[in-house]
Amino acid sequence: MKHHIILRIVTKLLIPLILLFGLYVQFHGDFSAGGGFQAGVIFAAGFILYNIVFGLDNGRSILSSNTAKSLMAIGVILYIVVGFLGILLGGNFLEYNDLSSTPIRGQLLGVFLVELGVGLTVSNVMVLVFYSFNDISMEKQ
Amino acid sequence: MFARNLFSAIMATTIFSLISALIFLLLDGIDVSLTEAAVGAGISTILFLSTLKHTDVEIKKSSIPSFPLIVLFFLLLGLLSFSVSDLPEFGKFNQTSNSQVTEYYINNSKSEMGIPNVVTSILAGYRGFDTLGEVVVIFIAGVSVLGILRKKKSNP
Repeated sequence: MKHHIILRIVTKLLIPLILLFGLYVQFHGDFSAGGGFQAGVIFAAGFILYNIVFGLDNGRSILSSNTAKSLMAIGVILYIVVGFLGILLGGNFLEYNDLSSTPIRGQLLGVFLVELGVGLTVSNVMVLVFYSFNDISMEKQ
Repeated sequence: MFARNLFSAIMATTIFSLISALIFLLLDGIDVSLTEAAVGAGISTILFLSTLKHTDVEIKKSSIPSFPLIVLFFLLLGLLSFSVSDLPEFGKFNQTSNSQVTEYYINNSKSEMGIPNVVTSILAGYRGFDTLGEVVVIFIAGVSVLGILRKKKSNP
């Protein structure tokens, strides 16, 4: 990909915007369209674009496959931990009312944490699937 | 899809996804539209294309005779079109799925959750347990792909 100068420049301009849009969809998802699932996919798409244009070695120096594996599990664990926090604080499973001082603030915090868990899991699963497809083609060469 | 070339088939799927994202947008389903555009048109195209690197682009002519398949296709098409007439009218208010729960969510989401986007409050709040299952399914799918496509040298 040394010679595709237009592709490289345009990608350099686009990737921050894609990642920013992913973060916007993630953290503004309770006020506008979107949520953890969409945000994770958009974020992963931006990162995969970086991998395609600038090479897998550069990509892996940012997010190694082991880090992605741990983050993928952390997302699910975060979701379940928030669920059990509801029980520990005296409510039902995944009840957010007692997480903060008032029920409304508790709900906001709970939804925020849960969406963060969803986003982490989805984006890292997508990146890992992409990585493993490329590992196979590396082996063939 | 009558395309014998897998590359053009993937591109057709992507275009179909984009068009259905536009349809969802016109039907005011912004969240669904965003998901369709990101997942259907974005990520799955990338994954299909990386799969294509490991297979042939052209499909071999199959030896199965196509006539029974065509008959089956039209039979299924007829059955499905027949059952369309049983579907509820589009956007009708007083049907079961549109009346009780939806009304509750729309009226109480703002005061109970403090979140303006009802879709998010249903997904993460009222139906949080279902979303947990969804995330676990994605996690299991990721682990399975890793297991199937693992490197041979690290696992002798």
